[in-house]
This record gives sequence, structure tokens and C-alpha cells, in this order.
Amino acid sequence: MHNTTADLFRHWELISSFALRDIKARYKQSALGVAWALLQPLSMMVVFTLVFSLFAKVPSDGIPYPVFAYSALIFWTFFSNAITGGTVAMVSNASLIRKIYFPRETLLIAVLLAGLLDLGVASLLFVGMLFYYKVSLSLAALWVVPLLLVQITLTFGVISLTSASHVYYRDIGHALPLVVQLWMFATPVAYPVSVIPGWLHPFYMLNPMAAIIDGYRRALILGTAPELPALGMSVAITAIITTIALLVFKRAARTFADVI
Amino acid sequence: MSDTTIELSGVSKRYRLRHGWYVTSLKDEVGRLTARLLGRAVQPREEFWALRDVSFSLERGEVLGLIGMNGAGKSTLLKILSQVTVPTTGSFVTNGRLGSLIEIGAGFHPDLSGRENIFLNGSIMGMTRREVQRKFDQIVAFAEVGRFIDTPIKFYSSGMQMRLGFAVAAHTDPDILLIDEILAVGDASFQAKCLNKLAELKEQDKTIVLVSHNLTNITEHARTVLWIDHGTIRMFGESDAVVDAYLEHVTADMSAEDSHHEARDSGGDRPISILGVAMADASERPQNRFDREDTVVIDVTYSASRPIPGVVFGVSVHDVHGYDLGGVVTDPDSIKVTAPADHGVLRLTLSPLLFNKGAYTLDAYVLDPATRRYYDLRRRALRLVVDGHRAASRESTGYVFYPHQWERLK
Repeated sequence: MHNTTADLFRHWELISSFALRDIKARYKQSALGVAWALLQPLSMMVVFTLVFSLFAKVPSDGIPYPVFAYSALIFWTFFSNAITGGTVAMVSNASLIRKIYFPRETLLIAVLLAGLLDLGVASLLFVGMLFYYKVSLSLAALWVVPLLLVQITLTFGVISLTSASHVYYRDIGHALPLVVQLWMFATPVAYPVSVIPGWLHPFYMLNPMAAIIDGYRRALILGTAPELPALGMSVAITAIITTIALLVFKRAARTFADVI
Repeated sequence: MSDTTIELSGVSKRYRLRHGWYVTSLKDEVGRLTARLLGRAVQPREEFWALRDVSFSLERGEVLGLIGMNGAGKSTLLKILSQVTVPTTGSFVTNGRLGSLIEIGAGFHPDLSGRENIFLNGSIMGMTRREVQRKFDQIVAFAEVGRFIDTPIKFYSSGMQMRLGFAVAAHTDPDILLIDEILAVGDASFQAKCLNKLAELKEQDKTIVLVSHNLTNITEHARTVLWIDHGTIRMFGESDAVVDAYLEHVTADMSAEDSHHEARDSGGDRPISILGVAMADASERPQNRFDREDTVVIDVTYSASRPIPGVVFGVSVHDVHGYDLGGVVTDPDSIKVTAPADHGVLRLTLSPLLFNKGAYTLDAYVLDPATRRYYDLRRRALRLVVDGHRAASRESTGYVFYPHQWERLK
């Protein structure tokens, strides 16, 4: 029905309007403002360094632990915030959905866009840490771009499913923080992939986020390419999830207004 | 390409009734599933058809009035027309950009400024940033928010928010416009602006769907009227004919409905109460349909258990929303209840009636002039329908026709 380029362009403007709204509204009437985007991964890094590195002596592949943890935490924070915000995106815009027609997926893309800004802010500190720990970037750092694309696609797929389900079952909203937390421990954020026993490794890599997060660390700090077979698996799983999710979402979205 | 901008064929909409504010919970679903697996009877979901087999089409530049009782399916139809939801069966095609003045200001964010909200709301309504930019000054001027444009709108009065919402919606430049009770927005001068905007849009050959309970507004603006009743099309055609038939139906419905009895206090110890209210024409035949210039006779029957020093009787006329259009009361000194009365009758004659075409309800009451306390109040004691050829004349707008003359002085 709406496939002309003009429509696409207009929808892009709608997406950026929603993203701008989310960003502005989030940081208005807050003293620290956009610094919050930095404080979240930073405080996690401090806690992780104390608990995992200092107390539990978790190895970090010879990289200073703070930079090891932070390189994963900024991307994980982007992921988990987008999941949390994306899942409730339909319900928190219920008054709008009940009254006005617009492509519902724009709300999800806006959440991703607003999250990218936070990622950018949090990355500034990462650059500082690279200097401090005298880690120099190599050409392999360019891997971040495709990795980020896979991550964004996966996130979009996941929130398409969860946000549509959330319209029908509010249980999703309650379960989600728990699931995201468990998911983080199934992903090499606080520890390296090298601590996973060999027999478990293939199953471990079924988590599409595992290869992605590990990939960032290799690309940015170790200066090597991601573990390609695992990344390939991650891309395949992402493609399957996102395709199914889009079909489900498109179908469900037509009658969100009736049930939301 | 044809000039048809809206086409519905065989559109039906089913809703499943759900209980509680929770849409549904996993617990319920798991319960239903286990019951089914165990072979137990599963309680069927209750269904409700808000629309059944609705078909019509509109040409470009046509203005359609949409009428019907509350719950007839008008809102559901508007939701389908505005693409907020899809029909359960049937097809719906629109050709052109759609705008709506139904839920103005939806999507405003309280923490954002008026300026930011104009851009946000504009893009939700389908405008590009450049379009909003171009019309920005017009929108601000129309909304009359002036120097508060950079203030978060949570500090706006509700009137200002409403005006801002309407201003954005009115500037979206749609090809098809849906309007729901446009005239209920804002103060008089703002309403004038709204009406001008409506006239302007009509001139620009826009297709308009207008929903209003005010039948005068409908016949004034719409050439075609769709009357929807219990989810189906009852009548579709030339506006005067449909509105007349609608009034006919409403009258029949009214006589079936009971009036409400209110202000019942301290268990029957009411010094004076209204027993009944009846309406008749000039020759005292019971009647509730009149033309504008007819004489209407209203008899209020009351009983009083003891003499009452001060008493005022009143009758007020209301529109379908219950809005008081005007009432008349007795002079406190004129009617005296000096002795207990069994069946006192008080007659009010309205001659001429002077109400314009429409359906009205009448309240009758009796109160204490000193304390303004109601001894008795009968809400919607009578239904009054005004139609006929005089009522249909276009000499006057709104609810009331008042005696007047025009004179050319120069």
C-alpha cells in the first residue's frame, strides 16, 4: 500500500522525530543529562573489575581487565537498553497507536537510533581508555561496522517479537529484565570465550550475541578478525529470527489498536 | 484513474470481548490450552460485531455526514477509515493522503516544548520536516500560543494544548479529512476559526467525513449522509432525507425509553414532587414532533404534602449531549403552594417553539428558591423532535431560531 520513495522518506523523518523525542525527553529535567549514557557502562565496569578481576581472578586474555570489560559493556548496554525500551515501545505509545495510523515499526527503529547515540557517548570514554592503556587500533577495528549491523538487525528482530507479544501479554514486560540479565551471563561480557570448556563451545556459540561481543573485543583490542564460523552461525540465526519476527510483527501490528 | 477517494466494500469488524484491564495473561492462555488438551469444554470468547457488511464509496470533493446513536459503530468506522485498525472482513481502499481531526494532539509529549511538539506531531500526521518548517508560523499563529512556543507543553492550559493540536492537524493538508465533533473544541473565537478552516477545506475540493450529533451542522455541511445503526448501514443518501428518517426513528425510540427520576432525598419526605410531565400540540393532542413555529404545551403534574412558602418550577431544554440550551422558570412569587395538593397541574406554553431541526430532551424540576435545593428533578422527562419544512430552512444556524428582521439601511 505504501511503497513509494516519498513514503519511505517521510517514515524516515517520523523515525528521527520519535528518536529525537525519546532522547530529549530522557535527558530533560535531569542534571547529568546525556552523561547517564556513560555512567551506566562505566559503573558496571567498576563493579565487574572489582568482582570478576580482583576477587574472582577471572582471566582477560592478557588485556587489562577494565578495558576488556568496557569494550564489551558499551555494546551490551546498547543491546540491553534497546531490548528493554523496544519491548515496551508499543504499550508506552498506546495512546498514539489507539488513535493514529503510522507504521508501527518506526517506534522500534527509533529506539535503536536513540540507543546508538548513547553508544556513541559511551564510546568516547572507550577512546580515552585505549590511550590510557596504550592499546592501538589496527585495521581489524573496521570489523566493528559489520558486527554492529548484525547486532542491530538481531536487536530489531528480538524487539519486533517481544514488543508485539507485550501488546497481548504483559507478562513479557515482567520477564524481560530477568531474561536480559541471564542472557548477559551467557555472553562473554565479563569473561573471555577462552574459559568455556571445549565441548560446550559449539552450544555456547548458538547464542548469536556471543560471537558478536567476542568479535568487538578481538577487532578493537586484539586487532584480529572475529571467529568467523561462529560469526557465520550468528548471522544465520539473526536472519532467521528477524525474518520470522518481521512477519509476525507486520501481521500483529494491524490490530494493535484493538487490543493495546 | 477514477475520482473515487474512499471505497469500502463489505466491511465488517469483530471485537472479542475481554474482561478486566489486562488484555489477556499467559495464565489464562495456559488455562485455556490445558483445558483443551484435557478435553474439557473451553468457554467460548464473547464476540461483538461493531460493523457488519458496510459498503459505500466517496468521490473527491464530497462531504459525508456520519450519524447514528452512541455505540452504533461510528467510531469503529472512523478507526477503519483512518487505518488505525483493519476490518475483520471486507476491503477498504483510500486514494490520497488521509488526515484526521479526531484525536488532535495525540502524540504530544508533555516534556517537550510547543515547537518540538509541532514537529513531532506533524511528522506523526505524515508531514515532512520541511513542510512543517514552511507552515510553522501559520500553525503558531493559528494556535495562538505565541511566546509560549518554547515552553514545555505540560505547562500549557488544556485549551492551549487543544488549540495547538488542532492547529497542527488542520495544516497537514490531507486529501481526505475525518472530523469528529470539530465544534466541541475551544472557545467561540477559536470555533469560528475552525469553521473557516472547514469551509476553506471544502473549497479546496477535499473529501471530508464529518461526524456530529448536531444535525444542523450535518445538514449544513454535508450533501450526503450515512446513517449507521447497530453496525449496519441504515440509510445512505441525500442529507435532508436521511436526517429526516433518522429523526423519525429517534422519536420512536424515545417514547419507548423511560425518564429518570432523581434528587430523591430523605426517604419520601418530599414536600413537593413531580408526578408526570406531558407534551401536546396547540389542540392538546399528545405529540413530541413539532415544526419550528408550532405551539408546544407542556403540563407538569405535581403533588404537595404540605403548604410550601417558596417554590419555583422549571423546564430546561438539552441537546443530545445533555448540554443546557436554555430553560425557563416560574417567578418565585407567582406560583404558591398554600395547601396540600394531590394533582396540581402547571402548564407551560412555548409559542412559537423556535428550536431548529434536531432532537432534544427536556428536564422538569421544582426547587426551593432560597436554597436552590431541588425538591424534585426529572431528567429527560420528555423528548422533543423538531423537523418539518420550516425547521429545515437555512435561515438560521445552531439550535435556536430567534425572531428577527433584516433591514437595508444604505
